[in-house]
Amino acid sequence: MIRLNNISLDYDERHILKNVSLTVEKGTTSVILGSSGAGKSTILKVILGLTDIKSGEVFINGKSIYQINEKELLKVRRKIGIVFQGNALFDSLNVRENVSYFLAYENKLSEREINEKVKEMLSFVNLEDTQELYPDQLSGGMKKRIAIARALAAGPEIILFDEPTTGLDPINSKAILELINKLKSLGKTSIVVTHILNDAVFIADNMTVINEGEIVASGSVREILKSDNSFIQKFFYEIFLDNTLFKEN
Amino acid sequence: MILKMPIQNKLIKLYDFSMMIIETIRDFPTALKNRKDLLNEMYVIGTQSFWLVFFGGLFSGVILAIETGHNLEKFGATLLISRTISLGMVRELGPVITGILLAARTGAKNTSELGSMQLSEQVEALKAFGVSPIEKLVVPRVVAAVIMFLPLTFVADMAGIIGGMFITNTTFHVDLVYFWRTATDVLDYKDIFVGTIKPMFFAFFIAIISCYYGLTTKGGTTNLGKNAINSVVMSSLIVLTLDFIFTKVVWELL
Ligand SMILES: Nc1ncnc2c1ncn2[C@@H]1O[C@H](COP(=O)(O)OP(=O)(O)OP(=O)(O)O)[C@@H](O)[C@H]1O
Ligand SMILES: [Mg+2]
Repeated sequence: MIRLNNISLDYDERHILKNVSLTVEKGTTSVILGSSGAGKSTILKVILGLTDIKSGEVFINGKSIYQINEKELLKVRRKIGIVFQGNALFDSLNVRENVSYFLAYENKLSEREINEKVKEMLSFVNLEDTQELYPDQLSGGMKKRIAIARALAAGPEIILFDEPTTGLDPINSKAILELINKLKSLGKTSIVVTHILNDAVFIADNMTVINEGEIVASGSVREILKSDNSFIQKFFYEIFLDNTLFKEN
Repeated sequence: MILKMPIQNKLIKLYDFSMMIIETIRDFPTALKNRKDLLNEMYVIGTQSFWLVFFGGLFSGVILAIETGHNLEKFGATLLISRTISLGMVRELGPVITGILLAARTGAKNTSELGSMQLSEQVEALKAFGVSPIEKLVVPRVVAAVIMFLPLTFVADMAGIIGGMFITNTTFHVDLVYFWRTATDVLDYKDIFVGTIKPMFFAFFIAIISCYYGLTTKGGTTNLGKNAINSVVMSSLIVLTLDFIFTKVVWELL
């Protein structure tokens, strides 16, 4: 379980997150929606303890991660996989080495088992034939999918996705969304940041809408869609408008 | 408030830098676990700096021979050239030339590598997956430098002494065998000890300063460029400062 309690965070005196509280139950998929610059990626970094906070607490499986030492924190992080918005693939390593990085680091599996695992992960994301390529030889969407394969390789309990379908074609996005649903059926917990309402509805058990560092609403998909909060109505109205325009064309 | 900021920032940076030194030393044993990274770094330092250091040492020795030779010749003391070159190379010029060349070579490499990893969130990715960047990125670079600077300094020393030997032989007609014998005889344990310990200290500080500048890169590529420059400037300066400390303080304590 993941719980954020009244998190506030400043970057250079700018208030980026204001009293953000959020609970994600084990085995569920939570979606964070919000406009650009709202603080979505920052929330994911806070969950991993990657950035200093001004106040509040983060609990991962009951452990308050801003109160434990670096060694302990590294242990907690190993239970979490993340797909960064900018992918953050290791550019000096090829796809196979990227995907197997954390498996090889832990030194628990044999070379053969690692290779099997890499193949399995790459087939999840439809990129079996890229093992020997380097990140700068991949397209944007391919990088994203490799980043997803890397995040899943070590079998984390919790997976954080920062815009996993941005820049993907409809077929691959659908595959990724189905993968996220499949992870849920395996009992994994996911937090997905996205701009795309259709995607959100397809995977979410819960939604949280954030605007300018503040949580505007959170609840089940149904509750959010019915909300009469003015920001949510405006936000969704824009998305619906986009969709209708798209259909008319 | 505004006036206060820079000093506060400097103190914070100094604190962070000291913490990084402590953590790096504490994590030294992990170099064995990550020996692939270590060997890779050692290989890069060794292969890419060999000729640089060789020629750096060679020309230092040759220039030293010509300069001291002309002066000693006036007193008819050309037989003393070998002693000056040998002591000068092993105690001072070998380590300092190697240090400064490698501050540029290894320093710029470390800062730009780690800096671009930092900017593209690769360092955060390591942390996010529970891998310590100190352990994975800093320790292998620091240990590789400490190990490799010593043989490279030896290369510079030898290149300088041998270069000086040939110049002395051709210009000042000092016998090669005589030169070699006095050059080696004059070195005692203290000289060798200082000549060995200096490169290790230089290596440690060059590597850790360059990693620090790399990992603290923020903003964009302009800052990466600035940090790479700062890293080379700072590590060259630290080489000269440490050399002074060794020559003045450590030498007198020994
Ligand atoms: N390292 C940083 N230093 C300073 N400010 C930052 C930093 N990272 C993010 N910010 C600021 O924090 C705010 C939130 O950024 P964040 O990346 O969380 O937004 P986001 O909701 O993920 O946006 P997007 O949808 O565009 O990815 C932005 O205003 C941004 O300018
Ligand atoms: Mg973002």
